[in-house]
Formats: sequence, C-alpha cells, structure tokens
Amino acid sequence: MSPDLLTALIVGAGLFGIGLYGALSQTNLVMIMMGVELILAGALVNLVAFWRFLHPESYAGQMFVLIVMTVMAVEMAVGFGVAIARFRARGSVEMEEARELKG
Amino acid sequence: MSPLALVVLAPLAAAAGIPVLRRAPAMLALLGAGAGLIASLVLLAGASAGLHAALILPGLPDMPLRLVGTPLTALLSTLVAVVGALVLIYAVGYMKQDDEKVRFFATMSFFIAAMQTLVLAGDWILLLAAWELIGLSSYLLIGFWYRRPDVASAATRAFLYTRTADLGLYAAVFLLIATTGSSEIAVTLHSGAGASVAVGLLLLAAAMGKSAQTPLHDWLQRAMAGPTPVSALLHSATLVAAGAILLIRTAPLLPPDALLAIGIVGGITTVVTGLIALAERDLKRLLAASTSSQYGLMLVAVGAGVPKAALLLLIAHAAIKSSLFLGAGVFQHSRHSTRLADLHGAGRDRPWIFAGFTLAALALAGIPPLSGFFAKDAVIAASLASSNARLLAPLALAGTLLTGAYMARALRILWQGKRRDQPVAGLRWMGAGLAGLVILAIGLGAAFPFIETLLATPVPEPALARLLGLSAALGGLALGWFIPGRRLLGPLLPWARQGFAIAGGVDVWIVRPALTLARGCERLERGLYAGVMAVGRLGLGLGRAVRRSDDQGIDGLIFSLVRGTVNLGNRARTLQSGLIHRELAISVVATALIFAVLFVTLLAF
Amino acid sequence: MAVITLQTFFIALFGIAALWFGVVVFRTSSMMRSALALLFSQTALGAMFLAMQAEFLGVLQIMMMATEMSIMAIFMVMFMMDPGGLGEMDMTHQKRLSIAAGVIGALAVSGVALFAHWGPTATVAPAAAEQIRGLGTELLGRSMIIFETAGVTILTAMIAATAVAMPVLQRKKTS
Repeated sequence: MSPDLLTALIVGAGLFGIGLYGALSQTNLVMIMMGVELILAGALVNLVAFWRFLHPESYAGQMFVLIVMTVMAVEMAVGFGVAIARFRARGSVEMEEARELKG
Repeated sequence: MSPLALVVLAPLAAAAGIPVLRRAPAMLALLGAGAGLIASLVLLAGASAGLHAALILPGLPDMPLRLVGTPLTALLSTLVAVVGALVLIYAVGYMKQDDEKVRFFATMSFFIAAMQTLVLAGDWILLLAAWELIGLSSYLLIGFWYRRPDVASAATRAFLYTRTADLGLYAAVFLLIATTGSSEIAVTLHSGAGASVAVGLLLLAAAMGKSAQTPLHDWLQRAMAGPTPVSALLHSATLVAAGAILLIRTAPLLPPDALLAIGIVGGITTVVTGLIALAERDLKRLLAASTSSQYGLMLVAVGAGVPKAALLLLIAHAAIKSSLFLGAGVFQHSRHSTRLADLHGAGRDRPWIFAGFTLAALALAGIPPLSGFFAKDAVIAASLASSNARLLAPLALAGTLLTGAYMARALRILWQGKRRDQPVAGLRWMGAGLAGLVILAIGLGAAFPFIETLLATPVPEPALARLLGLSAALGGLALGWFIPGRRLLGPLLPWARQGFAIAGGVDVWIVRPALTLARGCERLERGLYAGVMAVGRLGLGLGRAVRRSDDQGIDGLIFSLVRGTVNLGNRARTLQSGLIHRELAISVVATALIFAVLFVTLLAF
Repeated sequence: MAVITLQTFFIALFGIAALWFGVVVFRTSSMMRSALALLFSQTALGAMFLAMQAEFLGVLQIMMMATEMSIMAIFMVMFMMDPGGLGEMDMTHQKRLSIAAGVIGALAVSGVALFAHWGPTATVAPAAAEQIRGLGTELLGRSMIIFETAGVTILTAMIAATAVAMPVLQRKKTS
C-alpha cells in the first residue's frame, strides 16, 4: 500500500468532514454552499488519487473528475440564482428565516 | 244540433256544469231539463210527422252507437223529459233547506240524461251502458243522505238486486248479437228469426230486477230512504220503468212461452205487492209496493201480447205515481215522517195538496174519466183477449181490486185525524210541480187516442173489460175505505208485513252471500295488505341493518384508515420544519444509518 | 514497502494546506476571508493534483476554482455588507451535531481508506501529452454521451439560474 494514496485519501476524508460540518452548522446560504464545495473537493481528491495510484491506464477516472467539476459548477450557478432570488424577496440569505417550506 | 242529441246532452251538460260552477244548481238543472224537454217535444213532433231521426256515433268496430227517434222512443223520451222537468221543479222546493244541492241536482240531471240515453238507444251496446248508468245514478240518489242510518245499506241493497238481475240482460244481449250478428235493436227486432225462450227469460230476469217484480221486489221499498223527488223519478219514469220499457221494446221478439212467463210473473207480482201495500205502515213504502204492483200489471199486458196497453199504463202511471210521491213528500215535510201512524189527518192540513193526491189516487185506481181508467181498461182488455185469459185475467182484476183497496186505505188515513198545521218551506215550488203532474194524471186519457194512432196499433176495448175493471176498482176503493187493511188481510198480515219473504227472501239468497263474499274479500285483502306491509318492514329492517353494518363496519374501517393516515401525516409534518439545516441533518443521519446497516450486513454475511 | 518520496512529501504538504484552509473557511468571522480561504484550499488541492502528475486536472482545478471563488467572494460582500470581518458574530447553529457529524464522517471515511484492501499501486503515470490524448479519446469515444449530458446540464443550469435570479416583471394582466 502506497503512502501517497493513503495520504491523498486521508486528505479527502478530512475535507469531507470539514465540509459536512460547514454544511450543517452554517446559517448563511453561501456558507452552506462552501461546505458543499468542500465535500465535493474531498471527492475530487479521492478520484484523482484512485486514478493515479490504482488505474492510470484508464482515463474514465479523469473523466469522472470532470463530471464532478461540472456538478460543482452547476451547484454554484443554481445556488447563486436561488440566493439572488431570496435576497431580492427578503433582503437576506439567512436560512434561519426561511420557513416557507414548513409542512 | 240534432234534437236527438240535445235531448241527452242538455241534462248531461247541466250535470257537468253544476259541480263546476257550484252556483244556482237548481236553475241550471231546470235549464238543462227544459232544453231536453223542448228537444224531445221537437223529436215527438217529427216522429208523429213520420220523420225517423237517427244519430250514429262511433262505437265499437262494426257496431256503432245509435240514437233513434222512432215514435215509441220519442214518446218515452217525452215522458221522461216531462216527468223529469216537473219533478225538478218540485225538488227546487223540496231541497230548499238541504246543504248539498249541488250534488243533488247534478246527480238528478245525470240520472235524466242516462234515462234519455236508455230510452233513445238504438243499439244494444248503448242500451247496456245506459242501463248501468241509471243503476249507478239511482245508487247515488238513494244513498244521497248517506249519513243517515240504514241509507247506505238500502242503496247497496238496491244496487246489488238490480246488478244481479242485470246479468240476465248481459246474457240476453250477447245471445241476441251472436245470433243476429248486429247490435242494432231495430235489426234484431225485424230479423224475423225471433228469439229463443232462453233470451226471453233472461230479458224477463233483467226486467224483474229493475222493475222490482216478485221475488225481487224488496229493494224498491227500502229505496224509499232517498229524497222524495228521487223516489218520484225513480218510480215513475226512470229506473223502475226501464224494466218495463225493455220488455215493451222487445215484445215483438219474444216467443209465446216467454210471454206467458212474463205474464205470470207480472200477475203474481201485482197481487203479492198489492197485499204488501195493504199491510204497509209507511206511506212511501206503500207507494213503492204499489209501484211494483202496477208494473206487474204492465207485465201482464206484455204477456198478453199487447205491449201497447202496457205502454199506456206506463205513461199514465208515470204521471200518477210521481204526483202521488210528490204529495207524499209534502206530507212528509209537514209531519217530518212518512209513517202512516204519524200522518193521520195530514191531508186536512193542506187541502189543495190532498185534492191533488186524491185525484191521482183515484186515477191510479182506475176511475173514469181519469187517465188510469183508460190504461187499466186496455190492460184488462188485453188480458181478456189473450190466449191465456183464464190465467191472466183474474190476476189483472185482482191487481186492480187491490189497487183500489190500498189507495182508499191511504186516503182514509190521511183524511181522518187531527189537524196539526206546520209551515212547510218551498211549498210554492212543490205545489207547482205537483199541479203539473196532477193535470197530466187527469188529462192524459185524452191523449191516448193520439198515442194509439201514433203507434198505429189500436187497443181492443170491449165493454166487458170496462165493466169488470170499473167494478173491481170501485169494489177495491169501497173495501179499502170501510174496512181497515189489517182486518182485510186476516191471517196473511204478518207474512205481508215481512214482504212475503220466501224462505228469508232474496235477502238470504243474493244479498247476504254477496256481502259475505265482499267481507271475505276485504279480509283477504287485509291479510294481503298485512303481508305486503310485513315484507316492507322486513326490507326496511334489512336496510337498516345493512346501513348499520356499513356505518360501523366498512365506514368505520375507512374512517380509521383515514384517521391513521392523517395522524401519520401530522407526525411527518413535524419533521418538515422547513429549516434547511434541520433537513440536512436528517438526511445526513439517515444516510449514516443506511451505511451502517449496509456495513453490518456486509460483515454479517 | 512504503517508500517516502518527494512526491509523497508534496502530496502531504499540499493536502495539509488544503485541510488547513478548509478549516479556516469556517473559523473566520468574515465572509470575505471565508471565500478567500476556500479559494486557497481549492488551489492547494489543484497543486496536489499536479503533485499526483495529473497536470490537466490540476490546472483546470486551479483555474475553475479561482474564478468560482472570486465570484463567491463578490457575492458574499454583496449580500453581507461585511468587507473586513470586523463584527464578531456567530453564524452557526446546531454546532454540536455538526461537529459530531463531521468528525464521525471523516473518521469513517479514513477508516475505510485505511482498512480497505486497495491492491497493487501503480508507480508510473503516463506522460502529460499521453494523458491529454487519452482523456480526449475517452471523452469523445466511450464516454461521449456522459460528456454531452454534462454539457447540456450546465447549459440548463445556467438558464435556470438566470430565470430564478431575474426580477419578477410587472406584467399587465391580460384578460
């Protein structure tokens, strides 16, 4: 077992943990999005590490990285769209105040 | 409009209009009757001029309904119209204090219309229909005071008696139509084939029922429960006359054997009901018995083969008997009773009325020159001239004798006694009607030659007949005046008082079985009704049980399901805080749980 | 036999940098600084990709995240009106649960990374040019449908985001 791989995977796990904490604990919509970004970054590290150290001959791993980056971009775009709409409507993006979806 | 139609339609229109307008019923009825009278006089004039009116109405296929205006029918129609109109005039006074004038005059007008239809009917079908209609209207009129005790039962009795006898007419008519193939009366009469004895006897049975011949005479006396104008009309020109009219019209058809039977029935009736009249204790019932007796004489004439004599007596009797009844009605109003015991001296109260009554009574007895004399003569002459003179002549003479006797008895009771003057309402109208009829009763004899030429059959009138008839009448009057009816009858009295009920009378044989049958039917119906109700209740109970099981079973199940779902929803609602971090936390925890479960299963298996 | 090479050193270095800046994202009280910290974290990640010889992906990561995070920083300033992080304010909630979730998640993933049997590791990576060629062949060959789908998805997201963000027009009510 390569220490490179282990290092990369542990970095990914750490990023995932930090992102999860941020997504759960922040009250601001943009901060929550940052948390999500970190989680996805953790996934990215893992994917690159798997490609490099386990299957460098298959480029499907790299392609997967591209897809995750796409997802990050999409998330950012839609997230900011929602944030702008919310800000227009309420003048704030604090999620404590967003209770319209209460059942 | 043809006078033929007007004769029937005028009173019919009155009958229809009175209950609709409910105003001035008496005037409307008089208007209808007057129009009918004029129309029938026009008809009679036409018939005497040799004009035979006929009206064909759509009826059964190949059997149209016909109204015909032959001399005979025109004459009878005039008789009905005259008597009807005069009785209505009388009734205006008689019913002055009754509350239900509308019903009374409507039914009376309907009665006259039905009788005119019967008289003018040119075919058997219409005759049957009219026959039923007069039965119905007489039932309604006899039961007019239906709230009084026994009136309803008297009406039912009259209806049942006549209905039973009517079956004979039905059978006879169907036999006649079947043998001749035509429903027209004239065709049937002139087909030449003649009729069987059976048809004759059936017709006799029908006539016996309607004309109250022995042994079916009982209902007529009970029918006195109706108002007096009804009795007058019933006895003189309408219901009771229908039987005799039927036989007079069909006489040319009948074979000798049937004629003999008719003559014997008539003879027996005239004697038996004459004896009953002698024993009666009620003036109206006495007159009713006398009616049966006179119709018996008419049947004797028919049986002797001279129906024209019967017709003469019918016409004379119509005028006489209605005037007698109208007079009796006045006495009834003045003493509020028709019992002879209460009427002692009633004649002295109203001498003019009593004079009219006396004249009519003498006419009925057959005293010249009153109309009854000529008619009785004709009947006695016919009985003497018949081939069965030995059988018929004594009966006819006995009937004449009894007529004199009971009329004298009635006169004596009315004259002897104290005056008890009581005002009578509407006397003027009653007097007018009575006067008209009495004049007819006196003067109709003068019209007989005209009638004979009209019918083109002279009636034999030998001197012997006149002598015998006159002596019988005078003897009867003397007997009745000087000897009380009770002593005259002797041992026959109790039996006569019971109406010569043979083995309990027809009552036992017809009325009681019919009523028992009706009661049985009612009981059966009640049972069926109860059964139907029970089935209905069962169904209702079943429905209620099903509803309950639905309510508590299926509905309860559904509702508990609904409640469970709603509760679940409410519980799930609390999870839906709408806060993003809360939702995120839930999804993270759930995902962790799923991974844990997967991991555990991975290790376990 | 674990061999600690220069590559390992750089991977660990940039990894620790990425983790450090990741923590900083949620530790500052300024939105601006958070966004910049995230930018640095992502850039460190890109450098880590370079250290793992994935040149194309590393460069792409750095470029994309640089633009993305600067946009995010602009938005933060726009929304929060907090350019300097001068205010001391707590913008967190359910902190205990979040910390527990983050720690447990990180530990679980690390556990998997530690205890999973990864098999033999490759030591030599393809040359950069070869990588680009292989990736291009992959994208326009076997995975073309996925790639195209990703493109269309981005387009859709752009349109959707624009539609959501646009102000509600005061339209005349017809009929």
